[in-house]
Amino acid sequence: MRFLVYPSAAPRARPPVRAFLLFAALALAGFAAQRVFAGGLTPAGVEAFYLGPDGQEPLAAVALWEELHVGAFVYGFLLFMLGSLAAVAPVAPGLRRVLFFGALAATLADLAAPFIVASAHGAGLVRVGTFVLATAFLAALLVLVGAASAAGRPRA
Amino acid sequence: MPDERLARFRAPALAFSVYLLVIAGSAAVLFVLKLGGAPALIAEHYLGSEARFTAPSTLGGLLEVAVPHLLAIPLVLFAVSHVVGFVRALGRRSYGVLVAVSFGCALAGVAAGFGVRFVAPALAWAKLAAFAGLEVTLLGWAGLLAAIFLRVSRLRAPTGETFAVDARGTPAEVPRAAEARRGRPEEALP
Repeated sequence: MRFLVYPSAAPRARPPVRAFLLFAALALAGFAAQRVFAGGLTPAGVEAFYLGPDGQEPLAAVALWEELHVGAFVYGFLLFMLGSLAAVAPVAPGLRRVLFFGALAATLADLAAPFIVASAHGAGLVRVGTFVLATAFLAALLVLVGAASAAGRPRA
Repeated sequence: MPDERLARFRAPALAFSVYLLVIAGSAAVLFVLKLGGAPALIAEHYLGSEARFTAPSTLGGLLEVAVPHLLAIPLVLFAVSHVVGFVRALGRRSYGVLVAVSFGCALAGVAAGFGVRFVAPALAWAKLAAFAGLEVTLLGWAGLLAAIFLRVSRLRAPTGETFAVDARGTPAEVPRAAEARRGRPEEALP
């Protein structure tokens, strides 16, 4: 926050910001790969993951809440960091707002989606949609911040 | 809010406070679902139960839970306390107490799990108290963050004064003088 608020400190902030963005990109890619390998890109794959292969062995409530707990930490931190960096990036405010609030809505929906699949005993498409949107919005925000960081100084 | 430039961080800060609530809420649900919520059930969770056919927790199992939490909880507390401290929303003493209680409860909570298993079952009370303390402080931090950034426009300096910085990015005397004129920022909070 201090680095972001005091523009004169920005040059010193740039190397760690770039390193953070690299790790954030890797984390996001890893998170997405995990989901894809668990069948997250098809409704049938999602339903098999949460409800069992024949729909008769649903995941325990503890597993659903654990996923929500871990996901909230990952998404919350990423959004906080990327949102704060985007706030000082020299980009159109409209674009920044769309990407940030889109990411916020999509990640919150993605956290809620497993409960919808479990309670509706189906609706795997909801989870596919929230996963794709959350990943796309976060990736776009990351690219935006990365491009601004590569381009030069933040807005004062 | 001592610096109007902080207004641009309103959305990420408010989003973070929402996520803090989700983290605290899901932690409470998991505590009840996994540990039972009552001291006797907590002790049973760590020591195992013949009646329930559950084995005692292993050192490896305890570490599997403790290690990610030893990183994640301080990171969350550091981030939120850093922002709240930066805007000087609390007096120095209140801020110090809140920081000490939150980090203390986090550490006690992690340690108490090992304590129940390897030292004394009665430490289940400490586990429960530490968890409750951490939850309350997390809610407090989330509330503070929300209160600060929801009021960001009302607390803006009317004259538009901002922090002066020297070449190394160190704040100069301007904010102190501005505070002295309009009162301490914490007095503007509910």
